[in-house]
Amino acid sequence: MKRWVIGMRDAFFNSLYNLAKKDKNIILVTSDTGAICHDAFKKKLSSQYINIGIAEQNMVGVAAGLAMSKKIVFIYAIIPFATMRCYEQIRVALCGMNLPVTVVGIGAGFDYSTLGPTHHGYEDVGLMNLLPRMSIYNVSDSMMAGEITKTCYKQSGPQYIRLDREGLPLIYRRAKQLNIAKGFTVLKEGRDGYIIGTGRMAFTALKVAEEMSSASLKIGVIDLFRVKPLNKEMIWQVIKDSRFIITLEEHFVCGGIASILGQFLLEKNAQIPFKTIGLANEFCRKYGTREYLRRLHHLDQDSILKSLQSWLRGLD
Amino acid sequence: MAKNKIPFNKRLTAKEIMCLRRKASWVRAKILKMAVRAGAGHVASSFSCTDILVVLYYSGLLKFNPKNHSWPGRDRFILSKGQAALALYPVLADLGFFPPSKLMTFSQNGSILGGLTESHVPGVEALTGSLGQGLSIAAGIALSAKIDNKKYLSVALLGDGECHEGSVWEAAMFAGHHHLHNLIAIIDYNRLSATDFLKHSLDLEPLKDKWESFGWEVELVNGHSCEDIFYAFRKARIRTFGKPLVILAMTVKGKGVSFMENKPIWHYRIPAGKELKIARKELTFKQL
Repeated sequence: MKRWVIGMRDAFFNSLYNLAKKDKNIILVTSDTGAICHDAFKKKLSSQYINIGIAEQNMVGVAAGLAMSKKIVFIYAIIPFATMRCYEQIRVALCGMNLPVTVVGIGAGFDYSTLGPTHHGYEDVGLMNLLPRMSIYNVSDSMMAGEITKTCYKQSGPQYIRLDREGLPLIYRRAKQLNIAKGFTVLKEGRDGYIIGTGRMAFTALKVAEEMSSASLKIGVIDLFRVKPLNKEMIWQVIKDSRFIITLEEHFVCGGIASILGQFLLEKNAQIPFKTIGLANEFCRKYGTREYLRRLHHLDQDSILKSLQSWLRGLD
Repeated sequence: MAKNKIPFNKRLTAKEIMCLRRKASWVRAKILKMAVRAGAGHVASSFSCTDILVVLYYSGLLKFNPKNHSWPGRDRFILSKGQAALALYPVLADLGFFPPSKLMTFSQNGSILGGLTESHVPGVEALTGSLGQGLSIAAGIALSAKIDNKKYLSVALLGDGECHEGSVWEAAMFAGHHHLHNLIAIIDYNRLSATDFLKHSLDLEPLKDKWESFGWEVELVNGHSCEDIFYAFRKARIRTFGKPLVILAMTVKGKGVSFMENKPIWHYRIPAGKELKIARKELTFKQL
């Protein structure tokens, strides 16, 4: 199966499987969370695959022990369980001892839309951002998911990868278009201002920018996939002359890239109008499709468009 | 001594036992001195597991190399009850992991030695102190050794109050399921936690049955008897298959100072004035 016709999850684990075939030190630990590609791990690399059971605290501790013994460990669960159930273990064991363990969380934002607030992932970026030494990658399409494993494999400290089950349509047609080390991509040059999107919202940002752009208004788009550490200087070079900046994420605005970039702009003493689009600090207790939940929380293309148009009118 | 293999039928001689007891007295006296100087530290918790640490480190049971503390062949010892750092640090300094002169900086401004086990200290494997994490880490190390067919042991010393944490039992289930024969847990079973007796807060009994039902082999020992600890641990060294081993070490919190023994109040307190004089006197080594 080719990477570009599959979702992020399988793109990520297919790529990990190919690395693991060559390096016996790669270990994948899951807390009873599946992916199609795990079957190949189970069958062909059984000594490198552990289903540890529904026990995330122990999963992180065991991963720490394996990493202390020179293993390169990937742990995998749905976002709330990969990040919150075992938060303190991640804080003390992985970050405190700076161990090369990659925490892979699946189900960004409303991905598990029918399962309700226990399975939604809208606090994770903020939580991981608080932890010293933790790197955060919020993946925006399947191409990136397949490429990011190579970066994780080489890093020496803890990392958090935020995956979505959705990975299509692609933003990046070829791997060459991606510079993971840079931490962000300017998907569209902007003359007047930029929308900075993260995760799948980078794709929505592109659509919104296309709709809004005209001869008199050129809005650019940045895919901010490495949320931490932020590539501050290079991002600043891109946005410093903007008339406005907009952040877009399927995450709480408080703690998300809105908070992170807002703080950055304050540090820079930037006098640039700043608009944040994301989720209000509330649990979502409604069920249905992801598109429905996005509409409900004004994160669909039309709502974003309307909100931005009225905000931009207010700027003039 | 450290790297020597001990024969499987090795018995401790009377002289060796006396040396271990003398060392334990020295460690307890050092604990007291460091805590008094700092005005900080968990003295009673540290006294509780002093004999266990002394037997592990001085009888040849644990393999380590103070000159190369990351020697790949070493046994991995995780002090999961991190508050006993005060007992571990004198042992590590005495064995040459770091200069003994550092001991008196314990908990002072700028010191690397604090109240809980710090992994930046030479000879310390893991950052602990947040209870309930050490056994999972030790299990991960044991699993890794098993995968790579390495001979070293992974050992975790836990407090009994620590066994209230659910993560301990996640780790116990995991180790039992994976038959981690190279994993040893030692429980410092003094029946007291920070503020009360466990039977009043959350009783662990029947603790032996609990561990057995999780797939562990259980050894019950007197945690202040050098011979008991030595023989229970020695068994673990020669096992090559089967179950993980838990040593339930029956201990007395505050052991060695009569007025501190079994008194919850001494979890945080440090002797002063008259008490300090009595404590010092009681900790002086007496040959039986």
